[in-house]
Amino acid sequence: MRTVGGFVRPPGLSLAGKLWRLNWMFVLLICLIGAIGFAMQYSVAKGVLEPWVMHQMTRFAIGFVVMLTVALIDVRLWLRYAYPCYFAALGLLAAVELVGSGAMGAQRWISFGYFSMQPSELMKIALVLSLARYFHGVSPDDVGRPGYLIVPLAMVAVPVALVLRQPDLGTAVVLAVAGGAILFLAGLRLWMFAGVLVAGLASIPVTWQFLHAYQKQRIMAFLNPESDPLGAGYHILQSQIALGSGGVFGRGFMQGSQSQLDFLPETQTDFIFTTLAEELGIVGGLVLMGLYLLVLIYGFMVSFSSHNQFGRLVGMGVTTIFFLHVFINIAMVMGLIPVVGVPLPLISYGGTAMVALLFGLGLLMSVDIHRGVRIGRRGAAKPPW
Amino acid sequence: MMGRRPTALHPNPWENGGLRLEGAAKQAMETGRNRLLITGFLFAVGFLMVGLRLVEVSLFQEGTESRLAGPPPTATFQMERGDIVDRNGVLLATSLATASLYADPARVLDAKDAARRLVQVLPELSKAEVLAKLQAKRRFVWLRRNLTPRQQYAVNRLGIPGLYFRREERRVYPHGRLVAHLVGFTGVDNNGLAGIERYFDDALRGGTTPLTLSLDIRIQHILHAELSRAMTEYEALGAAGLVLDASTGEVLAMVSLPDFDPNQPGAAGDEARFNRGTLGVYEMGSTFKIFTVAMALDAGTATLDNGYDATEPIRIARFTIRDFKPQRRWLSVPEIFMYSSNIGAAKMALDVGTTGQQEFLERLGFLRPARIELPEVGTPIAPSPWREINTMTIAFGYGLAISPLQLANGTAAIVNGGVLHRPTLLKRRPDEPVPGTQVISPRTSEKMRRLLRLVVLEGTGKNAAAPGYLVGGKTGTAEKMGAGAYLEKALLSSFVGAFPMTDPRYVVLALLDEPHGNERTFGYATGGWVAAPVVGRVIERIAPLVGVAPVDEDSPELREAFYVNLDARGRNLASF
Repeated sequence: MRTVGGFVRPPGLSLAGKLWRLNWMFVLLICLIGAIGFAMQYSVAKGVLEPWVMHQMTRFAIGFVVMLTVALIDVRLWLRYAYPCYFAALGLLAAVELVGSGAMGAQRWISFGYFSMQPSELMKIALVLSLARYFHGVSPDDVGRPGYLIVPLAMVAVPVALVLRQPDLGTAVVLAVAGGAILFLAGLRLWMFAGVLVAGLASIPVTWQFLHAYQKQRIMAFLNPESDPLGAGYHILQSQIALGSGGVFGRGFMQGSQSQLDFLPETQTDFIFTTLAEELGIVGGLVLMGLYLLVLIYGFMVSFSSHNQFGRLVGMGVTTIFFLHVFINIAMVMGLIPVVGVPLPLISYGGTAMVALLFGLGLLMSVDIHRGVRIGRRGAAKPPW
Repeated sequence: MMGRRPTALHPNPWENGGLRLEGAAKQAMETGRNRLLITGFLFAVGFLMVGLRLVEVSLFQEGTESRLAGPPPTATFQMERGDIVDRNGVLLATSLATASLYADPARVLDAKDAARRLVQVLPELSKAEVLAKLQAKRRFVWLRRNLTPRQQYAVNRLGIPGLYFRREERRVYPHGRLVAHLVGFTGVDNNGLAGIERYFDDALRGGTTPLTLSLDIRIQHILHAELSRAMTEYEALGAAGLVLDASTGEVLAMVSLPDFDPNQPGAAGDEARFNRGTLGVYEMGSTFKIFTVAMALDAGTATLDNGYDATEPIRIARFTIRDFKPQRRWLSVPEIFMYSSNIGAAKMALDVGTTGQQEFLERLGFLRPARIELPEVGTPIAPSPWREINTMTIAFGYGLAISPLQLANGTAAIVNGGVLHRPTLLKRRPDEPVPGTQVISPRTSEKMRRLLRLVVLEGTGKNAAAPGYLVGGKTGTAEKMGAGAYLEKALLSSFVGAFPMTDPRYVVLALLDEPHGNERTFGYATGGWVAAPVVGRVIERIAPLVGVAPVDEDSPELREAFYVNLDARGRNLASF
């Protein structure tokens, strides 16, 4: 590796050095958010530890180890294995189509005997890795050429199509938007963007045809929740009642009437933010959003200070994924956007999403540790050891 | 800027140490940096938006629950007979579509086989009877009315030719015995046989809108529960109770025990189907002193400051009028009421005179059947001829038998400012003017409220107290007439009360037929011991429902309002 312009090779290539460079404040922040998650799981379980809170803790512990491990692995190794990761995730996603099992009318799970997982969650991280890998290898000159757009578009489109078939609108949106964001960050020409956007808008009437009846209903219910207060609009209305009943300081931990009395749907998973806001008030809601904001700021800073294109795109990709989860989930429960199933990061109940997200945050930290590393366009071919 | 095409070949736009960092390469780097900033900015905007929305939803959004209020839309079926609901719309009687099984014997091929198989699925039928019906020379025989869907399915499965179903309706009373005497019941052909079902038979036929009664099922339940408990505890033969709106005459609850299940009226005896609240007429005993004292006060023959000598029993003809707990002294009018002195009441009535008493009781509607929307209304038993002795006995509640409904309605007129309303079982519209006749002056009514409150505070009705609700009332204990003589051990014990006495809104009556005292009542079975606690508990439970807030009964204003000078000759006793 060259050491140019005052940047030395990062000392972090030794394990102790890497641990030293690890941003422990960020690790603490993640643990804090995780702890809020345990508390909320405990609350919606009506004060019972088994089995939800224990499961959640186990998954967080696994994810935490994964995160630290990923963080300590050299970022160039991730560059090297980006495509294999992507194809592995794609394979699993395709397998869901064939042997997957379902919940709530959607086929999203794949079972491995002892545990089952959601490949679509893994795909979020794998997509970021592979897109970053691709654009890392493309010269700024070529980025603007339409020919170089085909591969990344396919990389996004195939998993999006597979996820839509499950059907899982929320994850598909996350994948598509995150992919678009990386394309944007990689320096794609704006007119191409406009073109994709126009094509997307033009395809809405066509897509509408392919949406499931319940998805159409949700979008209609979003536009006018009162039209069907006991049916499709039920989620949003109950959620808003809960938020309103929380007020400034909330009704107290485990005291939320909407959540404790089961008016709210899906309290453990997608609507857990509502429970939090009802029981701990907007103060609680804003504190959690503040913690999320710190995560995002960290991700942004890491990307900004990374000296290689791959690190920059991975960092920003993970940050984008994280942002989209927070934004879509909270905006959904407050009726800003239609109801789509997107978990609240580190809080919602769900194993694969938790581990995958911590994996992503590990990547972010890896980028941070190795921010000074310079990687040639085909750097992956020459690992430093 | 971003539209310009970068031409330099530099792998890492961030890198600024390269020699080739010129022109287009710099552009590419700037583009990347700018786009990172733009993305970050968009995230910030998104977060801000969500945060503001959170504040808005939490703090400024009105609750949307009320928009969901109102009954959920359900499919409605046109029925032959309209529903009956309580004042809040709770269903009291409704019709269900059922199927009834009949046969055309001429079309039944094998009657023996058909009878055998039918009895298998409808075991309650007798095989011999079914066979006889199926072999009859008629073209139409009923086999079984009102089958359940399951039974209908089973019969259909037999596939016997000549059996048919006719769609019928069956009357169902979801609350069963709770409102049995009021709502009544219908016969097998859905014609009303008793209660509201009979009184409004024509209106209910083909009625599409439900008939709304004045009844409140919650209050009815409370009254029913408390009366049942007292009836069991004191081993009474029966009980009756009423809750009446004092200012409109609406009956909110009326209970008669023992009761019956209107879904199976045939299973009940006459005694159970008898409505003690309206059909039964009783000599009420001391509760009648309410009317005697009100009459005397209104006529001006007595005031709260004068009194009567009650030292000696009155002997007239072959009767002796004596007090239950003789004080053997001169008693002021409040004392006569408070201690329930028969001697005093008799003397007060004599001062008004027989004609005056007759006119007064006539005005209260005590000499003719009560006018209410029920077919079962008892005719009062009045003395004829009406002599002086009758005037004296009626003064303390013997010799004139009226229904509990009349007693409660008369009491309502005494406490509500003196206006007698016609009692009704139909809900009045809030804006509807309530017709009424002034039977005593508002001033007399105000005095009577003090006296009734005095009874609960200091006299025989202490057990009716429901703290905070300012209960007032009067006890009554009548010996029942048996074979030409009054039976000392067969009592009719009652309490009629109203609350809150500052401005009475509801009259509550409880009456127990032949209660027996127990250890808790020290062997007494009088109205003050067995009926007054029922009224107290009922008031305690219904006051929160009807929106009467408890007050501090010991406040100086309320002490002042209910102050009664017990002894005009200087022996003052405050009424608290």
